[in-house]
Amino acid sequence: MNEYAVEHEISGHEPHWETSPWPLVLSMAMLFVFPFAFSLYFVYGKPIMAILSLGIGIPLTVLSVAGWISEGVGQTREPGYSVKAMPFFIVAEAFIFVAFFVGYWVMRLSASSWPPAGTPEIALTVPIIMTIVLVSSSFTIHLSEQKMEHGDRGGFLMWLIVTIILGTLFLGLSMNEYSHLFAEGFNFKTNAYSTAFFSITGFHASHVFVGIAMFICILIPALMGKMSKSFVKSASMYWHFVDIIWFFVVTQVYFWS
Amino acid sequence: MYATEEALRHKPGFGQTLREWIFTIDHKRIGILYLIGSLAAFAVAGLMALLIRIELGSLGPTLTSNPGTYNVWLYFHGAAMILAFQIPALTGFLANYLVPLMIGARDMAFPRLNALSLWLYWAGIILALLTFVIPDPPDVMWTGYPPYSLKTGGNTAFYVFTVHLMGFSSIVGGINLLTTIFYMRAPGLKLNKLNIFVWSTMGAFVLQLVFIPVLAAAVTTLLFDKYLGTHFYDPANGGDVLLYQNLFWFYSHPAVYVILLPTIGMIFDIVATFAKNRVFNYNMVVYGGIGGVVLMSGEVWIHHLFTSGMPDWIRIGMMISTLLISIPVGLLMIGLLGTLYRGAIQYTTPMLYAVGFIFLFLIGGLTGIPNAMTAIDLYIHDTHFVVAHFHYVMAVATTFAIFGSVYYLFPKMTGRMYSETLGKIGFFILFAGVNITFFTMFIVGFKGMPRRYYDYQQFPQLEGLHHIITIGAYIIGIAALLILISWIHGLIAGKKAPDNPWGSKSLEWTTSTPPPPGNFRELPILTEEWHPYGYGRSK
Amino acid sequence: MNEAFAYAERGAPGQIPDVPGGWDHLFGEMLIDITIIGILFTVITVYLLIRYRRREQGQEGNPPRLTTAAAIGWAIIPAFIFMADDFYLAAEGWTLFNEYRRVPENAYEVKVEGSMWSWHFIYPEGVESFGELRVPAGTPVVVRMTSKDVVHSFFIPDFRVKQDMMPGRMTYLWFYPKAPGEHLITCAEYCGLMHSGMKGMIKVVSQDEFNNWIETEKKNNNT
Ligand code: HEA
Ligand code: HEA
Ligand code: CUA
Ligand SMILES: [Cu+2]
Repeated sequence: MNEYAVEHEISGHEPHWETSPWPLVLSMAMLFVFPFAFSLYFVYGKPIMAILSLGIGIPLTVLSVAGWISEGVGQTREPGYSVKAMPFFIVAEAFIFVAFFVGYWVMRLSASSWPPAGTPEIALTVPIIMTIVLVSSSFTIHLSEQKMEHGDRGGFLMWLIVTIILGTLFLGLSMNEYSHLFAEGFNFKTNAYSTAFFSITGFHASHVFVGIAMFICILIPALMGKMSKSFVKSASMYWHFVDIIWFFVVTQVYFWS
Repeated sequence: MYATEEALRHKPGFGQTLREWIFTIDHKRIGILYLIGSLAAFAVAGLMALLIRIELGSLGPTLTSNPGTYNVWLYFHGAAMILAFQIPALTGFLANYLVPLMIGARDMAFPRLNALSLWLYWAGIILALLTFVIPDPPDVMWTGYPPYSLKTGGNTAFYVFTVHLMGFSSIVGGINLLTTIFYMRAPGLKLNKLNIFVWSTMGAFVLQLVFIPVLAAAVTTLLFDKYLGTHFYDPANGGDVLLYQNLFWFYSHPAVYVILLPTIGMIFDIVATFAKNRVFNYNMVVYGGIGGVVLMSGEVWIHHLFTSGMPDWIRIGMMISTLLISIPVGLLMIGLLGTLYRGAIQYTTPMLYAVGFIFLFLIGGLTGIPNAMTAIDLYIHDTHFVVAHFHYVMAVATTFAIFGSVYYLFPKMTGRMYSETLGKIGFFILFAGVNITFFTMFIVGFKGMPRRYYDYQQFPQLEGLHHIITIGAYIIGIAALLILISWIHGLIAGKKAPDNPWGSKSLEWTTSTPPPPGNFRELPILTEEWHPYGYGRSK
Repeated sequence: MNEAFAYAERGAPGQIPDVPGGWDHLFGEMLIDITIIGILFTVITVYLLIRYRRREQGQEGNPPRLTTAAAIGWAIIPAFIFMADDFYLAAEGWTLFNEYRRVPENAYEVKVEGSMWSWHFIYPEGVESFGELRVPAGTPVVVRMTSKDVVHSFFIPDFRVKQDMMPGRMTYLWFYPKAPGEHLITCAEYCGLMHSGMKGMIKVVSQDEFNNWIETEKKNNNT
């Protein structure tokens, strides 16, 4: 039950106060990346300052994530629980999507006609291709996980990389679709449908992005020979969740009209 | 056995100490840093309350002739008190400090993530404090209703990001804590032997995990609407202003139970310790009380929207469900009283705060009943009556519980005893102050004074009552200072504290004072008979 | 504009419920109810606090052992008592709420539009006024409202009514001015800088006076 405690006892650590600077650095970096940069750009109209703020924040973020990984991975205790914690995180994430969908449904059901004026024809082939890409990436990460279980490092790395590529392909398709829509004059501001469309698909895409970031955070240490099985499993669990959410996005946002 | 007593006795230099504090990933130190943050937020937001009170103390402009300034004070006061003082003091400080100790774990499941949630919280404090230096500070009140929050010239983005940072911090903390409680309990610590505080923290974090994301989505859409031009809340383009209010209260109502649950759990622990008694009807308290509140808290949010134009049937439905919340909360009260029954009550400062909590929470909770009755709320909604209600439950009852817990844990945290005399004087002045202030506020509200008013030319007859409230607020301020002094005095001049000054049976008191890194020299081995409230068996 | 919720059924003619009176009555009843509960709990607490204070160093409590039946009883019985009280209050509250929502048959209908920071009244005769609502004594008045900009709340303390007004939706409230006089209207939903200054007056005048006023206003409008 209490793996960490037992381990701790056996390894006979010195009773010193453990430290890590990275959580602190990461949090402060977040201040620069989000509130400061956003406010400087959108509220106060100072783009140069905003870029400066990003210039401080993003390197700090990358630095602290790297530092964190190099400290954390390889230590058995911390990631040992990540598989158990991931379901909690997924519950929280799911509720954000629930809120966005509720907002969408409210607008959708109270509208007199749908889609509202100004909506161009949205091609349905692209989302189908995207679905295929995402579903197959769910399979590849599963394969990768299995290879890991069997101790096949090469196979694990290969399927992990394939997953990253598929995820990136998904994002690419999404960007491509956005740019087409923008070109047709369909953007955030167009109407209620565009509001829902871009927020929900965009929000989902950001989850794909986070998933890919997680895989990269697994890949780099893994290439250097450090890895944590539990972290791989939880990342893959997250990826399956992102995949499932996509079904809702496709059916609700693309096909329900 | 830990072989390195030497290492502990070896005094580190200042630089190292500082590093070991701010970079710490130890749950006890993180808890204390949470406490410092939340007390700082309380002090600043309390000073804002004083400014507000001075402004309202007499008719016409008093401190400022610009209503906008008042609105910023009130925004900061409300947002900081809830987001930066109460929730972090309860789910940050108390939960972090106590839960691993109470369940006999060496630390949280993810110490680094724990530090992350601490510093995200501090980032939120920094952002909130920047309110006072940026141009066009946010003035959207802690509720941030659109379309005002979209139309205002104030910086709504800062409000949104403050909520994001605090919320993300809570979610990270919640995942960590739930994992810890579920998977890291000491061998033999069965669920029916958990401290009530652990149960209630679990309940609170379940609520946080489910509802914060909805709040996050609500404020995010606000940001999109205001700065990116989407139309969630723009009726001209198919949006709906009521949608925000629903999403907001869908979180913010459960948030008040996020505040209430750990509070009352802590009160149970304090009362059991000082009455040297078992918790009365443990299963009723845990499943009926805490479980009931958790289950029911998600279906009553419309009681904040009784006047806002929701359909009538839903207002009636949520009136009934709100009234029914008095059942689980009433069971918790019965559990508290039952714990006093045939006890051996010892009146230390923390116990006084716990007793104060019982009385004051009764007033606050029972005045939730008129708010809950739709027809009555049509008059008292958004008047100072509601303000008085929630100050009684939050500013008074839960704040009492927080101060009481700080006194209760003072020996364990600092290794020193506070002065009972100073502590008790502070308590009685505070007790007088809050009642003068907030009871009078009920009358002002009953006479129809709406809230968030910078001035009240239309109600000149209320000036006298407002004056009394302001005097009460000064008294609270003095009491807060005294309490702070009693803590500083304890830190500097207090006697050395023994490991278990209160004679408690609960695990957090079995380790040395203050607890070493890793909490327990040897992990506690729990016998069949052991129970955190196992008092009175021997006699 | 979403008017689905804006139109309630009209009540039977003749009887006009006394809403402010009903409110005062219910508030009093509820106050007695919660005071009794409060005092009961307080008295028990005080008794326990005094009776079971610690008498000697090291004394421990002597808790009763609850049998399973007693444990369940201690949960179920209070729960049912509380529930009974809740349902009683809910029933009373429901009745009064229905009176709030059922607009009397013969009500005089005025439209109000809120904007930062004033009220704009539109009478059925086409007359308009700002800040001051003139109504005839002895006729119930139903106010249908919406807002130009942000959320406001139309609050008449004397009539114990309050209703938010918001852009994109229509809401309503009604009140019954019995005798000539003046009543304060004040905004109860935070709406920015002058929220506290957003007030108005209801001038209740006799029916004749009211008719005259409407006529003159109409003429003024025409010229
Ligand atoms: C810790 C915080 C806390 C707690 C615990 C509560 C508890 C309750 N609150 Fe409160 N409330 C707030 C914080 C809190 N509230 C805040 C911050 C606001 C305003 C936010 C804003 O607008 O800015 C608010 C506003 C608010 C409103 C909206 C008013 C309005 O805006 O018009 C309502 C309406 O129903 C309400 C009701 C209740 C009820 C029924 C309870 C119940 O949980 C109380 C239950 C307790 C008891 C009833 C007493 C003990 C029980 C017994 C002794 C048993 C017997 C009793 C009976 C049978 C009645 N509250
Ligand atoms: C936990 C929450 C909390 C707490 C503790 C308080 C505390 C106080 N509040 Fe607050 N209040 C809210 C939460 C809280 N409030 C919320 C949510 C709102 C609604 C906001 C909105 O409308 O959006 C509100 C609104 C509100 C109003 C309504 C204003 C209006 O609508 O126009 C008023 C008016 O009197 C008020 C007064 C006070 C006073 C006098 C105190 C006093 O108790 C404060 C006393 C404290 C001090 C004077 C500090 C002194 C400190 C020191 C001297 C240092 C000592 C330091 C330590 C002990 C660490 N509050
Ligand atoms: Cu209009 Cu407040
Ligand atoms: Cu509520």
